[in-house]
Amino acid sequence: MAEPIIKSRQAQKEVNGISTEVVCTQFSNYIFVVLTQYGKIGTLISVTPDSRSNDISTPTFSTKVLLGKDEPLTHVCAKNLATFVSLEAGNRPVLLGLALKDSSIDTIQEIKEIIKSCKVW
Amino acid sequence: MTEMLNGSDFGGILVHNFSEKILEQVVHFHVMKLNEGFFLWVGSAPALSNLAVSMSSKYDSMPLSTLVMGDPSNTAANSLAQRLAKRTKKQVFVSYSLPMTDSSLSLLVENRIKKELELHPENF
Repeated sequence: MAEPIIKSRQAQKEVNGISTEVVCTQFSNYIFVVLTQYGKIGTLISVTPDSRSNDISTPTFSTKVLLGKDEPLTHVCAKNLATFVSLEAGNRPVLLGLALKDSSIDTIQEIKEIIKSCKVW
Repeated sequence: MTEMLNGSDFGGILVHNFSEKILEQVVHFHVMKLNEGFFLWVGSAPALSNLAVSMSSKYDSMPLSTLVMGDPSNTAANSLAQRLAKRTKKQVFVSYSLPMTDSSLSLLVENRIKKELELHPENF
């Protein structure tokens, strides 16, 4: 069978005792990342690099909740989790599906490591 | 380590790809099976140009559907998500990245999805 044109990688790991699944999917204009402890997409957030912040300053990102509860912590988690993905993927926007039971900083850090193991970009 | 999630025996996220030559062009399908739902991308080039979400409501016989990303004048993703939600009774995410100009193409694409739903319901 031919190679699918959409490349994706996934991983499953216990984080702080909770089964956590990560799926990263590569599109030409987006990286789609699903981070879930419910098996669902949950809250959908787009993380977009701000256009042309000059080369000297560190790039900035805008987060927008497309679906689900729009609360400050969601934006913080999304930015923390997806910024490095966007930077590594050549400033591609990231579409993030986030359904976490535990949003503690330790959990976020561990999940970032799982995302790194699912690099499709 | 199978945890009961909301009473369903969900065995983890499952990704499934298939493709089909329809009206002289290769159409690719990418399905991500989730707990009580799935994500479906349809396209000929690997771009994510829109995203619609649909799910059943107890207040209406037709599932609710909304476009969360992309051009709202393009109703293909929205209506496909709604029909698939009706058929599967699940939460459905659809990204439809094919040209809208050909209505017979979208009909054939939908039939191909229905065929896959019948042949491999375990992937949805």
